[in-house]
Amino acid sequence: MAIERINPDLCNGCRLCINSCPMDVIRLDEESNKAVCKYPEDCMCCYICELECPEDAIYVSPVRHVPLLVSW
Amino acid sequence: MPSENVVETDVLIVGGGIAGCFAAIKAREHGLAVTIADKTSAGNSGGTLVAGYGYVVFNPEWGHNLDDCMNAINTKGEYINNREWTEIVLKDSWATYEALESWGTEFVEGEDGTKSVKAYPPFGVVRMGLTRAGPPSRKQAVKSGVEIMDGITVVELLKQDGRVVGAIGFAPTTGDLYVFKAKATVISSGVNTFRSLGNISNLTGDGEAMAYRAGAEITSKEFPDTNALPVDPSGSLFGEAFPLWRYHTDAEGNRLDLSDEYELALTQEFAVHAGRGPIIWDLDTATSEDIEKMRQRQEHSVPPKSKWAAFDPGKRGKFRIAGGAWVGMQNSQTGGIWPINTKCATTLPGLYAAGECCGTRYLGAYHPAPGFGLLGSAVTGTRAGIGAAEYALQVEKPVIDGEELARAKRILYAPVERNSGFSPRWVTQILHNTVVPYFIIYIKHEERLKAALTIVRFLNDHLVPKLTAKDSHELRLAHDTKNMVLHAEMILRCSLFRTESRGVHYREDYPRRDDPAWLAWVKLREENGEMKLWKEPVPKEWWPDLSKPYEEIYPRRLLGE
Repeated sequence: MAIERINPDLCNGCRLCINSCPMDVIRLDEESNKAVCKYPEDCMCCYICELECPEDAIYVSPVRHVPLLVSW
Repeated sequence: MPSENVVETDVLIVGGGIAGCFAAIKAREHGLAVTIADKTSAGNSGGTLVAGYGYVVFNPEWGHNLDDCMNAINTKGEYINNREWTEIVLKDSWATYEALESWGTEFVEGEDGTKSVKAYPPFGVVRMGLTRAGPPSRKQAVKSGVEIMDGITVVELLKQDGRVVGAIGFAPTTGDLYVFKAKATVISSGVNTFRSLGNISNLTGDGEAMAYRAGAEITSKEFPDTNALPVDPSGSLFGEAFPLWRYHTDAEGNRLDLSDEYELALTQEFAVHAGRGPIIWDLDTATSEDIEKMRQRQEHSVPPKSKWAAFDPGKRGKFRIAGGAWVGMQNSQTGGIWPINTKCATTLPGLYAAGECCGTRYLGAYHPAPGFGLLGSAVTGTRAGIGAAEYALQVEKPVIDGEELARAKRILYAPVERNSGFSPRWVTQILHNTVVPYFIIYIKHEERLKAALTIVRFLNDHLVPKLTAKDSHELRLAHDTKNMVLHAEMILRCSLFRTESRGVHYREDYPRRDDPAWLAWVKLREENGEMKLWKEPVPKEWWPDLSKPYEEIYPRRLLGE
């Protein structure tokens, strides 16, 4: 659901995903220097982090945490 | 401990999409210090990121005729387009297109060897390639010496002696505070989307909301964007195939007549309202030639590594379409901050508006073809950048007193200082459930609008002043929520005020256009804590010939007419 996995074995701590996330959901874990999805409930599944990640460490599933009401 | 930073600049630009980048580059040409503050990452933020289909150009050498273009926009926009702006945007289109191309935006040729898409006469729509418009514009801004500050949520405008003198914001990642002191400020922070289905949920209409709170005039919030998107429980993404294949049916398989409709007008909503939903995107009906075209378009416009590229239209299928892709957004280039001149000045000295939050109304009540939004944003960006620079050259460096700074800081930090109250996520959900249903925002009626307004007023009066945030991420959510609630009130009040139907504004209780009474724009501003609305007539020389039969003036039929 949303950002489902940021693989710590692949993440190089470059922060590209943090800086490109429009919804501010990713943070750098200071101890491990790896990106973590801290606010998955606000992820809008735009896949920008997945696309930006130079190590292919991120997998985003297309389902948002809170189902969205559509207009019809 | 979060730090406090003061940034002094000549021109502050809030929002670094295409409008903000054009404004910044133009202001730099005047030799001024220019700073862009962006909520995410300038060039990769907001609507510009998803505006990828094309760019409208008007070029007589390509056979375009000014009168034909003007007339098409008049008719589609149902005569409330601001003709002065329509002409400006068309005439400025070629220069902005050339600028984008020279900065590195890729424009691709179709199979016939031309760049212009033929599907939208009499307009020239040039197709954009993989680079889209944002990233090259950012590069050009950096090259011009613009200072870019990413990841900053601007919360409130600063005012001194009736003049806008900058803004205050913070970085959600660190909690650091930023005070921007500027001679002139350009708001180019895009639309509000109520955090809906389409992937621009970071856009919560912050600029318009800030401008409203500072006393600016806002216009035309009653015309909703009518884009819808296919959804699929298995999570397929449809890339660029969807806009190319326009075969939509009702639940019984009857094809909806979408001829000559770019944003699908309200055809789908009318079918849904009649109980004929859900609406289906039928890819099974495409020929192999059609599929090939979709594949080619995908190749040219979708990054190969992305999930969008993984969608193969050749697999076909029938997919449910969901309404309200960007619900909350206004008809492109229509709703927004009221510009008082052709350099995008607003009623507040020192404040300029550009892009989707600048209410030029150049398209009127309907968005006729892809690429007009991006074009209008580039043109207003250019003009706001020049206007702001000329103003900045005339005024002294602002001095902001302690009282004003303390006021802005109080507003900024209030949600984190509150120990009890309401969560912004929950308030957003209530707001969503109140305004997003089609029978509130698309098929309108006085009774339903009033019911929704009662709830939204309560959110605004009772819940918004008690929003809480437990960290700087939630602080951003709190400010986003506050702005979205304000937008909802603007939309509902404008929709109630316009007691007729026109373009994409449809009132079930007033299903006809009402001429000449509503050859007018709705305007609003804050007065003594209340939202005051009034009517601004369209100049008489821009009216249609009212002696002609109604059906001839308005070829599009509305439900119940």
